[in-house]
Amino acid sequence: MRKRIAVVATTATIAIPVGNAIAASRPTLATVTPKKRVVILTKTVSGQAYEADRWGPLRVTLVVKKTTTIVGTRRTIARKITAVHVPVSPNHTDRSVFINQQALPLLEQEALHAQFTGGIQMISGASNSSDAFIQSLQGALAAAHKV
Amino acid sequence: MLEALPGLRRVEHIMGMPIVLDVRDEIVDEDTVDAMFDWLRWVDAVFSTYKHDSEISRLNRGELARSDVHPEVAGVLERCEKLRSETDGYFDMRAASADVVDPSGLVKGWSVDGAAAILDVAGFRNYALNAAGDMRVRGRAAPEWCWRVGIQHPLERDKVARVIETTGLAVATSGEYARGEHVFDPHTHLPPEGILSVTITGPDLATADAYATAAFAMGAERATHWTARLQGYEAMTILADGRVLSTPGFPS
Repeated sequence: MRKRIAVVATTATIAIPVGNAIAASRPTLATVTPKKRVVILTKTVSGQAYEADRWGPLRVTLVVKKTTTIVGTRRTIARKITAVHVPVSPNHTDRSVFINQQALPLLEQEALHAQFTGGIQMISGASNSSDAFIQSLQGALAAAHKV
Repeated sequence: MLEALPGLRRVEHIMGMPIVLDVRDEIVDEDTVDAMFDWLRWVDAVFSTYKHDSEISRLNRGELARSDVHPEVAGVLERCEKLRSETDGYFDMRAASADVVDPSGLVKGWSVDGAAAILDVAGFRNYALNAAGDMRVRGRAAPEWCWRVGIQHPLERDKVARVIETTGLAVATSGEYARGEHVFDPHTHLPPEGILSVTITGPDLATADAYATAAFAMGAERATHWTARLQGYEAMTILADGRVLSTPGFPS
């Protein structure tokens, strides 16, 4: 499954160097404090679009914030998922369009809510469509790890 | 700014299904998570009816004696037999043929219970472990939020019929919508009538899953009567006529 990762788009790249104050305070040789630098990178990664039975393809996208803290030669990386989207939704048939308008926003909102408002985290009795969601989510999670 | 989600999320494909682990603890021991997925893979290797070398396959070919199986296999087979009598024969590991055993209907829930025990022992307090729609949840999704589990709407695939809020529960749903009509009444060998899905909640997933499978196979009338008598487990049955019948203690 992890081979099917597709990194689709890079939305924004922001580099913010901070914390030069210590270095600027003219340290003596005995008390050299390494320079600290923080680089924040926000990326959007997508899982492979999966066929959700006759309902069409589903593709899950994650927004990942990567924070790299560099102190001297030490580099600490933290990755956080800040949003989940389902941008490719089933729209093949009239019925799918109906479901897309009526229901898929719910599916997407659930995943988004799970991040910060406590929406639905799990579904019991998952349909094929949810399986596709899970599979695409897996791909996106794997891609997020490589940001 | 959106808040970040603590913990860890991982999905692996084992036993022919996606297994989703969502941990919301601040600190997560990933070695434990690895060990938990290793356990599920071990179960698959030993119990799978699709794997030629599994103990179940060898048992069914007569290459392995019932007395020589792994203790875990013996335990599962015994439990299947007990469940068969508890469910008036509607949960039957010999439903396909009297000559072979297929404990798959219990193995999924049982293996997830084992996986949850691995997490519990290692100190995990807030997690959900979902095996293709049947799950164990514990603790909270966030400090101020219970886990919220949606019950799949049986007719409109991208909707839920009800939401359960819980801080510790096993939830299993059986219905024909999940993988085509794969549940049959073992007595008539026909798909059940008048019933769309059964959801069972309770302390362990092996039992909840087996009860859900059995109740769904019973069809509308028998299922509603049978689920009303369950001890320690709650049921929500969705009938083909659109009625939703829940036991009084079914969580909401």
